[in-house]
Amino acid sequence: MLKYVLKRILVFIPTLIAITLLGFVIMISAPGDPVERMVVAAQSGGEIGTQTANQMEQKRYWSRKLGLDLPIFYLSLNTLAQSDTLYRVYDRNEREALSRLTNQFGNWDAISAFYSSVDELNKTHSAVPIDSNMAMGASLDLVRSTINESYFESNALKATYDMVVVESKIAKLQQIYAAPFMKPFSEKLAAVKANLSTMKETATPWKMYVPVINFYPKNQYHRWIFGDGNWLTSEGSQFTNGVIRGDFGTSYTTKMPISEVISIKIFWSFFFTLVSVILSYIFSIPIGIQSAVHKGSRFDRFTGIILFILYSLPGFFAATLLLMNFANPDVFHWFPASGVEPVRGFSPDAGFVEKWSARLPYLVLPIIAYTYSSFTFLSRTMRVSMLEIVNQDYIRTARAKGLAERAVIYKHALRNALLPIITVFANIFPVAIGGSVIMEVIFTIPGMGSEIYNAIVNQNYPMVIAVLTITGVLTLVGYLVSDILYAVVDPRISYSK
Amino acid sequence: MKQFNFRAYAWSQFKKNRPAYLSLWMLGVLTVIAIMAPILANDQPLYAKYKGNTLFPAFSFQKNYELTLTDGSTESIQLDVAKWKQMEFETVIWAPVPYAPNKTDFLNSDFKAPSGEQYFRDPSGNMVEMPSRFRHRLGTNKKGEDVLAGLIHASRISLTIGILSMGVSTIIGLILGALAGYYGDHRLSTTRGQFWTVVFGSVLAYYYAFMIRADVLSDAIGTSGFAILLQLLLSIMLFTAIMGLFYLFGKGIGKLPLLNARTNIPLDSIVQRLIEILISIPRMILIISIAAVAKPSIINLMLIIGFTSWTGIARFTRAEFLKIRNLEYVQAGQSLGFSEPRIIFRHALPNGVAPAFVAIAFGIASAILVESGLSFLGVGVPPDVVTWGSLVNSGRENYSAWWLVVFPGLAIFLTVTIYNLLGEGLRDALDPRLKT
Repeated sequence: MLKYVLKRILVFIPTLIAITLLGFVIMISAPGDPVERMVVAAQSGGEIGTQTANQMEQKRYWSRKLGLDLPIFYLSLNTLAQSDTLYRVYDRNEREALSRLTNQFGNWDAISAFYSSVDELNKTHSAVPIDSNMAMGASLDLVRSTINESYFESNALKATYDMVVVESKIAKLQQIYAAPFMKPFSEKLAAVKANLSTMKETATPWKMYVPVINFYPKNQYHRWIFGDGNWLTSEGSQFTNGVIRGDFGTSYTTKMPISEVISIKIFWSFFFTLVSVILSYIFSIPIGIQSAVHKGSRFDRFTGIILFILYSLPGFFAATLLLMNFANPDVFHWFPASGVEPVRGFSPDAGFVEKWSARLPYLVLPIIAYTYSSFTFLSRTMRVSMLEIVNQDYIRTARAKGLAERAVIYKHALRNALLPIITVFANIFPVAIGGSVIMEVIFTIPGMGSEIYNAIVNQNYPMVIAVLTITGVLTLVGYLVSDILYAVVDPRISYSK
Repeated sequence: MKQFNFRAYAWSQFKKNRPAYLSLWMLGVLTVIAIMAPILANDQPLYAKYKGNTLFPAFSFQKNYELTLTDGSTESIQLDVAKWKQMEFETVIWAPVPYAPNKTDFLNSDFKAPSGEQYFRDPSGNMVEMPSRFRHRLGTNKKGEDVLAGLIHASRISLTIGILSMGVSTIIGLILGALAGYYGDHRLSTTRGQFWTVVFGSVLAYYYAFMIRADVLSDAIGTSGFAILLQLLLSIMLFTAIMGLFYLFGKGIGKLPLLNARTNIPLDSIVQRLIEILISIPRMILIISIAAVAKPSIINLMLIIGFTSWTGIARFTRAEFLKIRNLEYVQAGQSLGFSEPRIIFRHALPNGVAPAFVAIAFGIASAILVESGLSFLGVGVPPDVVTWGSLVNSGRENYSAWWLVVFPGLAIFLTVTIYNLLGEGLRDALDPRLKT
């Protein structure tokens, strides 16, 4: 037994790692630039197209806070041409452009020289003071608009990799810098042009065909799992303690820690999951028993057909029908259509009974919808497992020794047919964390399901990935626990070979 | 004595199951509806005689008609925006449902009931009560789109989602299940030299086929579906070629001393772990998160559902292969010196595929459910595509428009029931022991 448990735990670990990897891969392949999102969210408004020094500083900060300034994984397969410091460029578009330039020319030194000269040119825009001295007689408005135009072009140059476009942008800049007051800029542009031509001349495209494997002890995955401090004790961590200590990062939308969001939202999901599981057992066990014991009877055939129909009925359709018929002023307005409690809230001194009796009408329809979907499945499984058991020898023996039918069914058969319950209860936590997305969206229940839905609509990927990872891990733990419990409860099952 | 034929026996058993047999026919009808959708529901006439011109607008690939009329004048008709119902034809044959999905009927916007008042502008420009030929039989939605036309066209999406996504997962599930069951943990072994050469080769193959071509591939995504397919195919061909090269090379390396020790490949454990990972994440959440990251498109959705639902098929096939690998005909094949792939895929697979059929039928049903659930939520499906799920969702903004919820919901229910019944029928026919 102990040997079996140890063996299970041993295979459990690689599966766990694989699940975190799956979540991680989905997270890093999410579209859009998280840094950009955080900065935009932090200061909505401001001039479009201009990147102030403040904004750059913020970008750098968020890129560090989210750990995006690190390489992605422990091992990375790369081309010889590609620099292994590329990930330090915190702007996603610029990183992409640089990577493509490297693939074209293969000489990282020249490319980075080119890039930093463009960066120099860019910085000139905020460094040069705009005054009458600098304007050399031109109107200040003209100077400002020229500088704006120049900034727009040179900034775009950083994220350009197609040589035709690069040339045309440089030609455009040259044209802008024809004005005498743009002298400081045109000097910088000369450097850019010089660097560009060195880059082209010293190109080594063959480097792209040589693979290199790099090892990074500090990387995004490691940071995500273990935090940015000491991996074991999380000492000295600055931004995150890592998934292993329950730190899933910050929600993009509310800026709250994700674990906090989950601890708030899980209540209703857990409530509905638990209530519906209990209710569906209360209904499905007797139905399953009756139809299995009286196999082929009218009751069996009737419930068989009803259950089959319910089974094929999509949950969201049934839920919508419920709302349409019982929360609709035109038909029956018996229940409120959305939410879990009165919108106006409760008075602070409202007691437990008062609160829940006010909530009750809100809960009836969701509970029906939740219960029905698991109830049909459970009844059918219950019937099948019961059918299997009533044909077993020990049931025949029980009958043969003259036990009453009730005792045979409820004492001998039912106990064994109930074993699968363990699996369901072991899985109740992951199911609650995942929530029932569709049901919660339909009934506007403020639980995990609608949280995931909102996270997806708002592209709040850390939330999605957190839920994905937590459910996966908890389900695995659930399987492990239920397997062990099975072995404890059912002496027929032996895991030691 | 007449030889026992399993296929004929299973078919006769299946035919005895009335509901399952009936649903096979219903599936046929649904397929015909899906294939014929553009003829069944189209806002352009199937055939029309217009001022001396014989036209087949519904079947035409042209964008414009340049017509010379009987009185000698010319008229240009743009097929997709022309007001066909207001034109005066000599003779005309309309599609059974004279509306197309995604085309609004402005006179009947804002939830017109199937039996309620509907309006029509006649050729002379007067607003009149809707003639019964042009009634919206199942009502309209908020924008004034015909629900029945949407239902008919959306049947194509539901059926293809079911079949294509299950096609993907059948291929994965059958191959992995067959290999895991046939080889188990101990039967597949290779020389140490070949093993490491192939591992090394797969890294290189990935590097040359996908990493170097990453820019080309990501550029192709921006252009067209054909370009993606072409570039992807090129990459895959390159990958196989390099892998093949290293495989052959490894064979030679494996003959060297020290490298010729046998290494065991625990294929069964690997496949089992893969299955465990997939089933440990709730399917809806996994699909939703991948769909949220991927670009919304029907094809992507099919692939996502396909790649996440092969576990059932793989488990059934694996169990079947565990039995098959010990049967005489497999041993006969081995002693005749047939290659392993030949034994697995030509001899064993056709015999081991029966249980997978059951899983496929149920799988299609659940794929349709998942798709309709996702399009109900509006995740992973482009907003302009009409599906049964999105129709039900559009009914949620106005619960008095019951026709928007009831009819598409019934369509989903019917299709899912058909596949579930088929699955049960197949299970009973193919494996009578499982009969409940």
